[in-house]
Amino acid sequence: MKAITFIAITLLAGAIAGTILGAINQVVVEPYIDHAIELEMLQQNTTAQSGQVITNPAEFAAYRFWQKGGEIIAGTILGLSIGSLYGIVFAYTRGSISGTNNNKKKALIVAGIMWLVLFLMPALKYPPNPPAVGNPETIYYRQSLYVAFLAISGFSALGLAFLYRKMMVASSNNTKKKVIIIPSAVYAAIMAGAYLAMPANPDPINAPIDLVIGFRITSAITISMFWAVLGVIFGALWDKANFISNKIAARHNCNSS
Amino acid sequence: MLVNNEITKKTSAEGVPRIAVGILLGVLAFGVFIVGFDQGEMLGFTVPADGSEGNEPGTNWAHEFYHDMRHAAGFPCH
Ligand SMILES: [Zn+2]
Repeated sequence: MKAITFIAITLLAGAIAGTILGAINQVVVEPYIDHAIELEMLQQNTTAQSGQVITNPAEFAAYRFWQKGGEIIAGTILGLSIGSLYGIVFAYTRGSISGTNNNKKKALIVAGIMWLVLFLMPALKYPPNPPAVGNPETIYYRQSLYVAFLAISGFSALGLAFLYRKMMVASSNNTKKKVIIIPSAVYAAIMAGAYLAMPANPDPINAPIDLVIGFRITSAITISMFWAVLGVIFGALWDKANFISNKIAARHNCNSS
Repeated sequence: MLVNNEITKKTSAEGVPRIAVGILLGVLAFGVFIVGFDQGEMLGFTVPADGSEGNEPGTNWAHEFYHDMRHAAGFPCH
C-alpha cells in the first residue's frame, strides 16, 4: 500500500470514529456534564471565591452550547490523533497476529488491545471524573500521574509486543498458540505493580456519587464504542484499499507484459 | 498476482513507509496534546469566551472547545 493511501485511510477512520464519539456523547454523556456544571456553578455562587462566576442564564446557555459543539470537533481531532497511533500499530503488528488472515478481524484485535492498554488500564487507576470533581490546583500533578500510568502501560505493551514477536519466530508450530501467555502474564504483573505503587488521585469526590458513577459508566461505554468503530472502519478501509491497489497492480502487469 | 502478494507479505512487518509514520506521529502528538493536556500553553493566545484574561479554566475559548471531550475521554481536567 502506498504511503499516501495508508495515511488517508488512517486519518479517515480516526476522523469518522471520533466524530461519531463526539456526536453520541451529546446524547449519552452530556446530561451528566450539564448536571455537574450546574452543581459547580451553585457551589461557586455560594462560596463566591471565584471571579469567573457566570450568573446570567442566557450567557451560561451560550457558553454551554459552545462547549457542546466543541465536543464534536474535539472528538474529530481526538479521533484523528488516536487513529494515527492505531494505524501505525496496525501496520507494524498485523504480520504478527496469528490465528487469522482476515484483516477486518485483525483490525478489531488491535483495537481491543489498544483499548485495554490505553483506556481501560488508566481508567481503572484514575477513573474519569465529571466537572465538579477536581481541584484546579492539582491539575499538573494529576496530569503527571495519569501520563506516568499511561506511559507504563503503553511502553510495557510495546516492549512485550516485540518480545512476543521474537518468541513467535523462535517457537515451533504446535507451541505458537501458547506464546501469548508469557507476555500477557508479564504485562498483568507490571500493571498490578504499578497500580499498587502509584499514588491515588489526590482530589476528594465531593459531587453526588450517582452522578460520578453515571458519568464514568456512560463515558466508558462511548469510548469503548469509539475503539470498536475505529477498528471496524479501519479494517474495512484497509481491505478496500488493498483490493483497489491489487487491481491496479494487476492491470499494470497486464499492460506492461 | 501471486508473486505480487508474496512481495507485500514479506514487507508487511517492517515495510511501513517511514514518512507515513512520521506524519501520523505528528498528528497524534498535536491532537492528544490539545484535546487532552493543554492548559493554555499552546492555545492560550486565543480570545477568551467571556472577555477575561483566559488563564483559568472556563475563560479560554479553546479550552471550552475541547473541555467536554477532555472529561468524557477520561483525561484529568479541572
Ligand atoms: Zn473540566
